[in-house]
Amino acid sequence: MSESQKTAASQDVKMEVEKNRNRAALRRTFLGRVIRSVVVAFWVMVIAFSLIRLSPGDPVRMALGADVTEEAVEEFRTQLGLDKGVLTQFWDYFSGILRGDLGYSYFSGRDVTEIVGTHLPVTLMIIGLSIGFAAIISIPLALYVAMSKSNTVNYLFRALTSISLAVPGFFLALMGLLVFGVYFNIAPAAGYEGAFPANLKYLWLPALANCGSLVPVLARVLHSSIVDTLDEEFVETGVIRGVRKGKFYWSYLLRPSLAPTVVLLSYMVGVMIGGTVIMETIFSLPGIGRELITAVDGRDYPVVQSIAMIFGLIVVFFSFVGDLTGYLLDRRVTLS
Amino acid sequence: MTTEVKKKKFIKEGTFGIYTGFFMLGSLIVAGLIIPRVSKYKPNDLASMPLAPPSRANWFGTDVLGRDVFVRVFDAVFIDLGTAIIGVSIPLVVGTVIGTLLGISQNKRVNSLVGSIIDGINAFPFLVFVIAMIAFIGPGVGSIVLAISLVNWARYARIARTRAVVVNQQGYVEAARTLGFSKKRILFKHIIPNVSSETRAYALSDFIIVIIAVAALSFLGLGIKPPQAEWGGMIRDGKDLLTVGFWWPTVFPGIALCWAGIAVAFISEGLTRRMREVGTR
Repeated sequence: MSESQKTAASQDVKMEVEKNRNRAALRRTFLGRVIRSVVVAFWVMVIAFSLIRLSPGDPVRMALGADVTEEAVEEFRTQLGLDKGVLTQFWDYFSGILRGDLGYSYFSGRDVTEIVGTHLPVTLMIIGLSIGFAAIISIPLALYVAMSKSNTVNYLFRALTSISLAVPGFFLALMGLLVFGVYFNIAPAAGYEGAFPANLKYLWLPALANCGSLVPVLARVLHSSIVDTLDEEFVETGVIRGVRKGKFYWSYLLRPSLAPTVVLLSYMVGVMIGGTVIMETIFSLPGIGRELITAVDGRDYPVVQSIAMIFGLIVVFFSFVGDLTGYLLDRRVTLS
Repeated sequence: MTTEVKKKKFIKEGTFGIYTGFFMLGSLIVAGLIIPRVSKYKPNDLASMPLAPPSRANWFGTDVLGRDVFVRVFDAVFIDLGTAIIGVSIPLVVGTVIGTLLGISQNKRVNSLVGSIIDGINAFPFLVFVIAMIAFIGPGVGSIVLAISLVNWARYARIARTRAVVVNQQGYVEAARTLGFSKKRILFKHIIPNVSSETRAYALSDFIIVIIAVAALSFLGLGIKPPQAEWGGMIRDGKDLLTVGFWWPTVFPGIALCWAGIAVAFISEGLTRRMREVGTR
């Protein structure tokens, strides 16, 4: 609760009524978001399911290659469940997902749920680390540029964010490898250890390279919302009252500017996932993205479908959380 | 007098970015036109010893097969830029039309059905979805364009739909309706041009995403097939040699790719600035 909210509530009983109304609005928003997310999640499953129908000609023959017997083709078809009707197939697939059964990899015979279970944590960790790095870089940067009156600083900020937006992550990663891996020799080029603090040694460079696409977007949005906040009267009040520096930056500048950034961050999760797939391939990290590339190379359809779907569901989940957090952070919208 | 001052500022705002961007892009295209034609090396022929460092004979050195990196970098300009341009144009047109139609349609059921399909497509991470599609339709230039189009139209459709709802209620559309213009004329002459100003602005920033995606797919071995010179593929060929001291087969195509991306980023940034300036005047 912000200062203004507290005083407002004590001032007038009418505010109590208003508050209750807000609670109802919150519940409505929450329910609406849940329903929307479930509908979108359903479509994510349908789209992932129908991917196999994209292949020109017979997907089974394409996967197996030219010289196989008729029996092998039929067997593979039965194994994929492609011999049944579309609706039956979809029901098998859909009820399988609900039971946590994602099918089997055709080539390794492994349970897809197990593949996802072992490799997803690594991917999520890279994403988490990337977001952490991005926050550490963008928050001070955005604050500094927003507070600065200098035209040159603003100009440089715009030019540099434009440039870093256009540098591909995989090139950045390779250059990082050249500088930190070869020249300074402080980052391993490949390899991985499972345990948590030990694996940071292998993850920091991929995560740093991956946040190259996040920092410019994050810094820009944060910068423009801090600039908007600076126009507010309460900032002036804070300056006049001589609020402590730390409190001033956090409560008066950052906190009110955070809502758009959080929403954006949840939308950027998709971009981060795409970047992570590439980082895992470059640094040979045992994440789910590398599994995806291996599966694509081997035309391992059940694995490709499931991984695409899982990533889709992750994005749906984070947009839901992001929307809601943004709404909770910026309740002024409903109060005024 | 005041307008004079404002005008001067208006010319300044964003212009430098636009000019720099166009200069960078233009020089790349000119180099892509001229260099492969006048050079004594062919992009796929043996030019010198494998992995010869940059020298007067081979400005950017040679790659692992002894091909001249300089010629290959500029030979790749058209395949990279071309694939990206087509990969942006198709979704731009398709998405704008579908989104606009959705925005102005009165049919609630179609609207919410197609709307949730669009949300479903947009939920997939762009690169992951394109990679997954390529697993099913196979690698190659055509596949890249097809996969990117199938994924990306939904992003344009979402922007167009939101915009079309607003445009549809504007005075000039109402006026055109009152004047009894045909629905087709209102759609194509009044609504689509105003909706597409938004989607075209997005297309410019999308171009950066797509050109990086095209190179990334080739980098992952899923895109444009060798021996065609292509920046992402060249970086892929060179990446294992990077850590043992042979930096030139990777760094030069990477710089070319960044150059193209930065050029478009500058144009996009400059135009956005300029549009904002027009908006505030």
